[in-house]
Order: sequence, then structure tokens, then C-alpha cells
Amino acid sequence: MHETRHQFHESLRALEAQALDGLELVIQQLDRALESISYQDVELAGMVVADDDRIDGRYLEVHQGILSLLARQAPVAGDLRIVAALLHVIRCVERMGDQCVNIAKLVPLSGYEAPKDKDILDAIERMGRLARSQVSQAKQAFAGRNTELAQDLVRQDTEINRLNREIFRRAVEVGDNLDMREWAMFMILVARCLERIGDNTVDIAEQTVFVVTGLFREFADASTPPETARTT
Amino acid sequence: MIPPDTTSKGQTDMSTAGSPSERSQTAREGAKPAGGAEKAGHAVKLKDLNAYYGAEHAIKNVTIDFPANEVTALIGPSGSGKSTVVRCINRMHEEIPGARAEGSVKLDELDIYAQDVDVTAVRRLIGMVFQKPNPFPTMSIFDNVAAGLRLTGTKSSNLKDLVHHSLQAVGLWDEVKDRLSSPGIGLSGGQQQRLCIARTVAIEPEVILMDEPASALDPISTLKIEELIDELKERYTIVIVTHNMQQAARVANSTVFMLEGEVIEHDETNKIFTNPSDERTERYVTGKFG
Amino acid sequence: MSAITTAPRISARRRRTDKVMRGGLLAATIIALIPLILIIYYLLHKGLSAWTTSGFFTTDPTGSFFGNPGGIRSAILGSLEIIALATLISIPIGIGVGLYLTEYGKDGWFANVVRYFVDVMTGVPSIMFGLFIYIVLVTSRFGGTGFAAWKGAVAISLLMLPIVIRSAEVVLLLVPSSLREAALALGAPRWRVVFQVVLPTSASGLITGSLLAIARGMGETAPLLFTVSTAFGLTFSLGQQMNTMPFLIYTDITSPRTAIQNIAWGTALTLVVIVLLFNLFARLIASRSRMA
Repeated sequence: MHETRHQFHESLRALEAQALDGLELVIQQLDRALESISYQDVELAGMVVADDDRIDGRYLEVHQGILSLLARQAPVAGDLRIVAALLHVIRCVERMGDQCVNIAKLVPLSGYEAPKDKDILDAIERMGRLARSQVSQAKQAFAGRNTELAQDLVRQDTEINRLNREIFRRAVEVGDNLDMREWAMFMILVARCLERIGDNTVDIAEQTVFVVTGLFREFADASTPPETARTT
Repeated sequence: MIPPDTTSKGQTDMSTAGSPSERSQTAREGAKPAGGAEKAGHAVKLKDLNAYYGAEHAIKNVTIDFPANEVTALIGPSGSGKSTVVRCINRMHEEIPGARAEGSVKLDELDIYAQDVDVTAVRRLIGMVFQKPNPFPTMSIFDNVAAGLRLTGTKSSNLKDLVHHSLQAVGLWDEVKDRLSSPGIGLSGGQQQRLCIARTVAIEPEVILMDEPASALDPISTLKIEELIDELKERYTIVIVTHNMQQAARVANSTVFMLEGEVIEHDETNKIFTNPSDERTERYVTGKFG
Repeated sequence: MSAITTAPRISARRRRTDKVMRGGLLAATIIALIPLILIIYYLLHKGLSAWTTSGFFTTDPTGSFFGNPGGIRSAILGSLEIIALATLISIPIGIGVGLYLTEYGKDGWFANVVRYFVDVMTGVPSIMFGLFIYIVLVTSRFGGTGFAAWKGAVAISLLMLPIVIRSAEVVLLLVPSSLREAALALGAPRWRVVFQVVLPTSASGLITGSLLAIARGMGETAPLLFTVSTAFGLTFSLGQQMNTMPFLIYTDITSPRTAIQNIAWGTALTLVVIVLLFNLFARLIASRSRMA
């Protein structure tokens, strides 16, 4: 004998899977965007831009699914919190997708065969790997309703923020070569995009805690410095 | 009992409409002006109430405060004891052979079960509306509304005005003013139920108990009754038993969840439906059982 | 799955069985109707001729074997008087007992004992009521007389009582308990619930039941034999013997004189018509209350 409201809970599970799978799409996009930056691969960058349609499509699907669930099933309590959280999550997915596109668009602009500063590139690659792991961890935390994992994302995010500031500093000190300076400017923009991706994963972490506890706590992130953030 | 505020300082509890310390109203109603329409209402308090049907222990140590001029809903699966609780409040429980109740039920300071209290007097203070509309079939609409007075032998100097006001209070006046002498049972289901509410209101009780008042009605009539309940709480304290959770969510200021004769959780309706404290409440409201 | 175009066919054997059943039931009905039709035929055939003799309804029996036998006026009026008194006794008491059983006694041991006795009483042959009153009231010459009309009325009322109680209980139980609950919840004391809600609601049913009991009582002969005996002349005094229709039939039908036998048939027809009228009246009230 099925539990009562079997259909509804199946639909909710499927919707959640759809939304979280969007994070996989983001990871794919992120990988390719970073690769195109490292190797200045304009063609790869073009693919990233084109493939954003998939993420936008995913957003629309999940959004529609949420509306449908709200209208037809009137979820309450825990179920309601999940649905509300999914609305946030899918928005974060879409924004992260957009950030990947922004990164990709910077590739042709930063010039063919531009001189690159090794340190800056290293930092970018480190930021990229960190961002990727954060997206993956956000997905894990939400799917597993794991508040500790969610909390840990905040720690990782401070590292991304630190890298962001470091890249900025290095770009300022990069030297007199005009082409180099120009490339460094673009890298600052790339770093900014990666940092925004990190912020979105923190948002997902906040939603995870909301689903589990029913309380909404703003973790410290770039927009909310630790002093004014309300934490445990 | 409403549990003490457990949210610590740094957290925004998104599950309540305003700050936790404000006197609660459901978010739907919007803010009332400060110092505005606060009527001196009458509260009902149950303390350690136990009720039995013969040997069966139907209600176990139930303690609930029903605040004045608010709507409190009792929800729970069949057999959870919600109807029994309500019937103990106006002592209708005693009409069932073999039934008895122990514990304290107080209307303000009056102990309803005290030795010297006349049960008919209690019922004039605490009115009841039933699941199936039950207007008296041999009486006209007018007589039905006036029935409460005639059945208690109360003389009223201006019966016509009283009937008029009662019918207006339930939103029936315009629909029936031209046929007050036609039979009460000639009305539609929703109208009959409003007639029964008018009949209850006419004896001017302090508290109105409603045992699934809309479950026998069509959806539009149900919504009209809910509108009515919202208006009535200005003047009465209302307790409503419902198996329709959405109705409790729409109508009640606070909600009590009962299971197998016990109170599991009693809190603001908002909290019960966004973030209940008890696992069993969560499972019931999300429909995992019931 | 292909679309359905024809309905499944019923086998020939089933159709035959169906026809046989229908035929059998029809035959049973006809057999049951035959005596009824014969009774009506005889009543009309023999009784109408008595009805048309002059003075049938307007004169009293003369009691003489020879000569004009007279009419049956005193019998009709006597029956009506006795039944009226019996009604006056049995209906209020009967409804009262019915109310006790449904409102107060309910499922208690005493109520169940009462119900048992009432059931027994419905099975008691009517002659027993006559004999009972005969022993208790007639032979003891209670009230200074032997046979008396009022004693007959008492016997008939005893006969009517269980019928009234039974039908009253049924009708009162039909009043939905939700109405009683509504009245109680308004703060009404129990007696007002009974008199202002339960009785008015069940009124038409109670009247119907009463009328049926009356119709039954009108036709009883045996109790009258031992309690009222008979008289020829018209009398309104309940303390004396009185003429009644059943008694008249009883005495006249065995008369060797055909004219007197015809009077018996005429009386029988009159009695049936009056009972029929009561039944029709009861039905009318029942259907009007259903339409309301």
C-alpha cells in the first residue's frame, strides 16, 4: 500500500532532482568556461554561450513544476519549505549559468595569444576549482539535507573571496605591458564572476538550512560582512 | 498552551508573520490598528480534561486555552477526540448514555462542571453549530431564528428586531427578508447552515462551538461560512473542529493538533503549517497519514 | 482494446426462468386477490340492498323478530361514541409511553421490559381484553352497573394501546437526533425539546398511527360482547349498555329472517366504509406532510 499522497511526493522528489541536476549542468558549463580561459579557446567559449539555453530551459521547467505543485497540491510545512527553497535554488542555478556565460564571453575579448601572468592564471584556476567544488558540495548538502556540509560552504567561500582580492591586487601590480594589463583587467572580471558563483552556492546552503530547520539565517558572504551577518 | 518563544536573538523566524512577541493574528488579516477593536471577550480554558465513553478513555489530560475573540481550530484524524473535546465544553457530551467527563472547563472564571451550575444555562452561554444543518422542519425561517428564545422560555420585548439582526449578522437577511414565514427547510444547504448560525447567534452566547460546520456544504457555501466566521470572531470566541486542513489554515488564528485523544501540538496556525515542532504534526499536515 | 458494439446476450434458459418466476408471482397475487374481491362483491351485493331501504341510517333497530326490523342508527352512533372514548384514553397514554421509550428510557432495562410487554400485548387475542374487563369491571358491577359502554371503551382502548405505542415509538425514532441535539445545544430543558420540537415534527406520523389504531378498534367485536352487550334504542349514556355495529352484525347474521340478515350485511358494509374512510384520511395526512 502506498503512503498517502504518493503521487504528490513522487512529483516533489522528481522536481527536486530536476533542480539539483541543474547544478550538474552548471558544473559542466563551468569546467568548459575555465578551460576556454586557460587555453583561450574561442570555439569552446562559443559553445558555453550557446549551451546556456539548456540551463534556461531547465529553469523554466522547474519553475512551471513549482507553480503546478503549489496550485494543485497545496503543500504545507516541510513540503512547502522544500518547494519555496527549490524556487531559490533554481534561480541560483540560472544565475550561475549566466556567470559561466559571462566568463566565456570574456575569452575572445581578452585577445588572441595575449601575454598571461602565470600567478594570476594560477589563482584563477584555483578559484575555478574551488567554485566547482562548492557547486558540487551545495548539491550534495541540499540533496542530503546536510546542514554541516552547508555550513562548511561558508568557509570555502571565504577562500574564494580571498582569492578574488588577491587577483585584484596582482592585476594592479602586473607591470607596464599594455597587452598584459588589458588581459589582467579581464581576469579581474573573470574572478568576479567566479566569486558570484561562490555566493550563489552559499545561497543554496542557506536554503538547505531553511528546509531543515524552518529558520532563515544569512551566512556571511561578500554582500554581508561577518560583523553584520547573523550567525549561530 | 502556546509554547514559549524558542527563537534565539540572531535568527529571523520566517514562519511567523510578525515578531514572535506580538499577539498573534493570521497573516491574511493584515495588521489591526493599535488599541483598535479590542472587545472584552470571553476565554475558555480546559485543564486536564478527561472524557470517557463507558470504559473507553476518549480524551486524555487535554489542556487548551481558547483565547477570547479568536478562532481556534482543532484538527486531527478521525477518532482523535476533537469532537469530544468540543462537546465537553458545552456539556453536550453528557447527553450520550455512559459518557462522563472529568477535569476543569472554565468560561472566564466560571467552572462549567461545578455542582450548582445548571447545564441549560451553560448552553445558553456556549452555542453550537453542527456538521449537518439542522433547522427545525416544522418552523418557519423566522421561528427558527427565534427558536432559541422560545425553547428557553426567554421573553423578548422585540423579537422581530432580534431576528432581523441575527439574520443580518449571518448575511442571510437580504436573501430571506421577503419570505420569513416560509419553512426553514426550504432553503439551500448553505443557507440552512447560516440559518442555524443565526439561530445560535440570536441567544447571544459568548462562545460559539462549530463541529465541522462546512463539511456538508458545497465549496462556495463553505467559503461564505468561512467569511462569516471571520466576521463573527469580532464578537464571539470561536472554536471550530475541522477535518479540512486547508480550512483550518484559512480561518483559524491558532490550531490544535490532536491524535488519539491527546493534544500533540497547539500553536499559531502559521507555525503549524510552515514549520510544526512535532514530527507527528508534520506528517499529518503534509498528508503522510490521516 | 476494440470498441464495444453489441451488448452481451442473455441465454435462452435464463429468459425462461425469468418468465416462470414472473408467472408464478403473478399467480400468487391473483390467488391472494380472489377472496378480497369476493368479499367486496358480497358486501356490495348484499349490503347495498339494505342501504337502500328507507330509514336504514335514521331509525333504531326495533328488536322485533316480526315486522319492521328498523335501521341501525343507534349502532352507528354507539360505535362512534365508544371508539371516541377509547381514543381519548389510549392515544394520550400511548403517545406518552412512546415518548418515554424514545426520550427517557431509551435502552434501559425498564424500557426494554416495557417494549417486551407491549409486543406481547399486540399478540393477545382481542377476546382476552373483553374477558379481562368482564372479570374486573363487569362481574364486580364496578360503578354500580354490569355491562356499560364505558367499560367497553376501556377494553377497546387496551386493545388499541399497544398499536398506538408501537407506531408512536417508530415515528418518534424517525425524528432525527440532530434536531434534539440542536434544541439541547440552544439550552432547552428536555421537556421543551419534547413538546416544542419532537412532537410537532412527528405530529403527522403520530396522527396517522392513531387513525390506524382507531380503524382497528372500530371493528372489534369480542371485547364488546362481554363488556357492553347491547341495546336497541339510542342512548348517549356511557354508563349503560349501548348498541354497536359489530355486535349488531354478530346477532343479526344468524337470524332466520332474510330481512334481518340483510341488515347485518348493510351494517358490515357501513363498518367497512367507515374504516376505509379512516384509512384514507390517515393516508391523506401522511402524504400531505411528505409533500410539505
